[in-house]
Amino acid sequence: MKKGTIVIIAIVAVVAILVMWGIRVNNKLVTADENVQKAWAQVENVYKRRADLIPQLVATVQGAANFEKGTLTEVIQARSGIDNAKVDPTQLTEEQVAAYQKAQDNLGKALANTIKVTVERYPELTATQGFRDLQVQLEGTENRITVERGKFNEAVQGYNTMLRRFPNSIIAGICGFDKKGYFTAPEGSDEPVQVEFNF
Amino acid sequence: MKKGLIAILLLLSTICAHAEWLPEKSNRLVNDYSGILTAEQLQTLEQRLVAFNDSTSNQVLIVITPTIEGDDEDAAAQRIGQAWGVGQEEFNNGVVILIKSKTPEENWGAVAIATGYGVEGALPDLFCKRIIDNQMLGALGDGEYYRALTKALDVILPVLAGEYSYAQYNKDRKRRGAIAALIAVAFMVLVIVLVARYAKKHPDQWNNHGTGTGGGMIFGGPVGGTWRGGFSSGGGFGGFGGFGGGSFGGGGASGRF
Repeated sequence: MKKGTIVIIAIVAVVAILVMWGIRVNNKLVTADENVQKAWAQVENVYKRRADLIPQLVATVQGAANFEKGTLTEVIQARSGIDNAKVDPTQLTEEQVAAYQKAQDNLGKALANTIKVTVERYPELTATQGFRDLQVQLEGTENRITVERGKFNEAVQGYNTMLRRFPNSIIAGICGFDKKGYFTAPEGSDEPVQVEFNF
Repeated sequence: MKKGLIAILLLLSTICAHAEWLPEKSNRLVNDYSGILTAEQLQTLEQRLVAFNDSTSNQVLIVITPTIEGDDEDAAAQRIGQAWGVGQEEFNNGVVILIKSKTPEENWGAVAIATGYGVEGALPDLFCKRIIDNQMLGALGDGEYYRALTKALDVILPVLAGEYSYAQYNKDRKRRGAIAALIAVAFMVLVIVLVARYAKKHPDQWNNHGTGTGGGMIFGGPVGGTWRGGFSSGGGFGGFGGFGGGSFGGGGASGRF
């Protein structure tokens, strides 16, 4: 009788300690998860900023003499492509991040190509203030994208490390936390988006 | 699964591997690793920036370096700002001005202005680019680093202090032309007044008021200083209190000379 009570109290105590530990780990994971989502929001922000520059590019190029519509089809298509690549920020699985990155990389390439073609076809355009301003903005946007992607990867690394460490991984499994995806170097990333020009 | 992670980490490390130049954190706002500025110039700039930090909490960091080890100047400036924590943590109001000086080995110079998250609005990329083009590159090309920095700070500090907006800067550049015209007009008015007075010779009202102070009044009026607020680098303050932990998101611009 007395012995039984002690055993029960001991079991309850151990369970209580386990539950409290579990809650602590869970809360830490939630915090790390929020960090990742915050970093993701910043990533989307800067990509949005780039997408918002495209109408400006279109307007600038259209203002050029003897402008051909074909110059802009690629970038306009890629621009509409990223609208379909929406990601649920609470998931951010490797597949989702990879798909999102692919759409954005396509836009980046299209943008670089369009600018290259524009410079070749309409050299007089590159001397205008509007085009130069656009260049500065594109450059700044690419810088921001690099920075925010780096910060996102850092946040994911912190989260994934915490998640995969034993014994945290047990709690993560019970509470349903999943590994998150990184941004990786895109194929052919040796050629950065070219927004610099030789006048 | 584990292999995948390792592969990703390896990939990440190769992305990051190419020359991440980052000087060791110092506790000064003006850091001249190239040894270009004189002691007096260093002191003047430092005092100006410390005073500015004390009065507005905005932190402007100047780094002059002989090399950035093949890194990109924009990225290098951003990284210094982030790693050193330039600006206050709650405002992210830091600015980094990085100059890669010309050296015999690397005969090209570069300048980058990196803005913290909090000042991207006050100093948009385009504005930074204009400051570099209009205020800095000319002087830097002549090897006058101190003058370039002073001229840039003359624009950046008032903007940061909120005294001066980007729109005003553009207006001011136009206004400089307008001032010349204004002076010409004022001069013409003066001549007309003098001529009129001569023509009237001795009408009663002029005699009563004594002899002429008319001309000077006209000059005094509309042509006033467009540049408000110089920063007196008064003595009596302590050193720089340390960086505040501000964050940088890649804002700013750069140029080469």
